[in-house]
Amino acid sequence: MLEDNQSTIIQIQDLHKCYWVGTMPYPALNGIDLEIHKGEFVVLAGRSGSGKSTLLNIAGGLESADRGEARILGEDILKMGNSQRTGFRLANIGFVFQAYNLIRVLSARENVAYVCQLQGKSKQESLEIANHWLHEVEIGHLGYRRPDQLSGGQQQRVAVARALATEPKIILADEPTANLDSTTGRHLIELMQRLNQSLGTTFLISSHDPDVKQAASRLIKLSDGFIVNSWDEETKPPVSLAVTCPIRNRPFGERLRHFFKPHRTADQQKKQGTSRHS
Amino acid sequence: MVSRLGILTYVALAVRNLIRNRRRTTITLLTMMFGIATLTLLSALNDGWLSQMKTNFILSFTGHLQIHAKGFEASQNLRDNIADPDAISRYMDTYPEIIGWTQRIRTSGLASVSGSSTGVQIMATDPEQETWVTSMDQNVKTGVWLRPGMNKDLLLGKTVAQNLGAKLSDRVILMTQRPSGEMISEVYYLRGIIETGAPQIDRTLALISLDGAQQWLQMQQAVTDIVIRADHHDQTDTLYRLFVQQLSEQVYEIMPWQELDPMVRQWLEFSDAYGLIILFVVILLVLTEILNTMLISLHERQKELGVMIAIGTQPHRIFLMLLFEAVLLIFVGAVLGYLIALLVVMLLADSGIDLTDYANAFEFFYMDPVIHPQLTRDSALKILLATLVAALLAGIYPAWKATRLSVSQALRIQ
Repeated sequence: MLEDNQSTIIQIQDLHKCYWVGTMPYPALNGIDLEIHKGEFVVLAGRSGSGKSTLLNIAGGLESADRGEARILGEDILKMGNSQRTGFRLANIGFVFQAYNLIRVLSARENVAYVCQLQGKSKQESLEIANHWLHEVEIGHLGYRRPDQLSGGQQQRVAVARALATEPKIILADEPTANLDSTTGRHLIELMQRLNQSLGTTFLISSHDPDVKQAASRLIKLSDGFIVNSWDEETKPPVSLAVTCPIRNRPFGERLRHFFKPHRTADQQKKQGTSRHS
Repeated sequence: MVSRLGILTYVALAVRNLIRNRRRTTITLLTMMFGIATLTLLSALNDGWLSQMKTNFILSFTGHLQIHAKGFEASQNLRDNIADPDAISRYMDTYPEIIGWTQRIRTSGLASVSGSSTGVQIMATDPEQETWVTSMDQNVKTGVWLRPGMNKDLLLGKTVAQNLGAKLSDRVILMTQRPSGEMISEVYYLRGIIETGAPQIDRTLALISLDGAQQWLQMQQAVTDIVIRADHHDQTDTLYRLFVQQLSEQVYEIMPWQELDPMVRQWLEFSDAYGLIILFVVILLVLTEILNTMLISLHERQKELGVMIAIGTQPHRIFLMLLFEAVLLIFVGAVLGYLIALLVVMLLADSGIDLTDYANAFEFFYMDPVIHPQLTRDSALKILLATLVAALLAGIYPAWKATRLSVSQALRIQ
C-alpha cells in the first residue's frame, strides 16, 4: 500500500448520511473516515443495509451527505454543484453497476463510445476506443449486439469497458458480480484485477461475494454505517441510537411534527418504531 | 470538456427510444394523426365555407370596394352623389388589381303592380360594366339580364316579384324622389327575376339601367356608387389604401366590403374565433396524449436516465433528448395527419360536401349548400405553429422532470 499522501485518491472524513423511511430515520453512514490510495483494489464488504452503496454513491458524487467531507482527487465532491459533479464524474470516475445498466437502445460499442463522445472525442475516435476496450474485456466480437442480445456476464463486461473507456482514475463498482453466476463472476473479478494491475486504475468495489473479497488488496468492512475492524459482530462499535437525522432531510410531514412536538432522538424514535411494529 | 454528441446522435437516440416501444408509439402516432387530420379538415371546411361566403357576398352585390360621396352610406340620400365619376374612373385602368368596376345609383322607392305595392331598393347600373363586377346577370333565374340601351327594362328580386305577384312583361311603376326632393314615378317592364340567394337583396331589389335612371332622376352624369372588383379578396386592403391616398376624405368615403354589411363581418369574425376554439381544443387533446405518453416513458426510463447522468451526461442534454423525442413524435404524427387531411381535401375539392338538406339554414349567410373544403396558407401556418407549441409544451415538462431526477434513487429502481 502506498503511504505517500500525494497518492491519496479518495479521502473521506466524518461522513454522515441519514435516510427517512416514512417517518422513521435510518442512519446509513455514521461518521466514516476512509483513505484510498492510487492503484488500490479496495472492497467494501458488509451485509445489505450496512452502508456500502451509500458510501460508494457519495464517493461518486451521485448522492449528497448530511455531514463530512468526501475529497476525490483532492476536490470535495460534496461542495460541487450538480453540473460540476457530472463533469467531474465524466473526467475521473467510471461506474460499474450491479444491474449492468447499459443504454438499451445502443449497441455494445455505442454504449462504450457514448462516454467518449461525451468527453469530446469524435465519433470515429470514440468507436475505435470502444473497439479497443471491448477487445480488452474479451468481447470484441460482440460489439454490434444490443444489450438484450448479450448474457449478463457479457453485459457486465461491456459495463467495465464503458467504465474504462474514459480512462478514469477511479472505478466504482456496486455489487458487480451480484447478478452473475459464480464462474462468470470470478472471470469478471480476474478481469478487473488484471486491469487494476496493468493500468494502475484504483478500484473501489462494494460486494459481499467471497470471491471479490478474496481478490481485494484491502478489505473494508461496514456494519450499520460504521467501519469495523473485524467481521465479528461482537467487536463492532455499539450503534449510536443517539444519532439524529438532520431536520432538513426529513419529510415535510415529519418536519412539521418535529416543529410542534418536543425533540425526540433517533434512539427514542427507533424504540417507538420497534414497539409499534412488534 | 465539450461533448461531441451532436444533434444526429440525439435524433438517433430519440428514434430508437420511440421504436423501442412500438405499440405505444404507434397508438400515440395514430392519435396525433387523427387529431391533426381532424383539425386540418375542420379548418379546411371552415376556410372553404368562409371563402364561399365572402365570394358570394362580394359577387352578389357589393364588390370588394365602393366609393361614395361622403356621407351617402349613412344618409342614402341622392343629394350625396358623385357629380363627376369620370374623375375617379380614370384610376380604374391604372391599377392592375382591379378586374372590373361599375357605376351605380342607389335609392329607395316603391314598386307597384296592378294595385299591390312594396318598398324596394332601386339600383341603377351599367348593364355591361356590372357583369365585370358581380354575378347578378348569372342570377337571373327567369327572363333576361338588362339590355344596353333599353332604358325601360326592369329586373326584380325573386321575393319582390312574388310579393307583387309580378310576371315577366308586366308593367311595374317605380316611384322615388329626385335629389331635389321632387316625387316622381315611371313605368318599367319586368324583363327578369333575380335570385341572388341573399334574402335581403331578393326581398328589395329593383334593378334598372344607369342611363335611363340618370335621365329619370335628372342627375346628368352623377352616380351614388362606384363599385370595384379586385382580382383577389386579399387585394382589397391594397386598393383601399391606394384610393385613400388618391381621393380626398373630405369629399369621398371609401368602403371595403367588410364595412358594407356589419353582420357579414361579424359572422366572419365569429367563424375565425370558432376556428381558433377548435384549434385550441384539438391541440389540447393532442398535447394531453403526448404529455401522458412522455410521462409514462419517463417513468419507465428513470433508471436508464439516472445511469446516463451517472456516467457523465449533463442534465441539459437529457432535457434536449427528451424534448427532441416529443417534438419528433408530434412532428411525424402531424405531418402524416396533415397529408391524410390534404388527400381528403383534394378528393372533396371538386365534389364538395353536399348539405342541400340544410340549405335553408345557410341561405341567410350567403353560403352555398355544397361546401368545398379549402386549405389556406394562414390555416396551415396556424396548425403548424400550434402543433409546434404543443410539442414543446408536451416535451418541456417531462424533460424538465428528468433533469430533476435523483440519480441515486433512479439507480435503486429494480
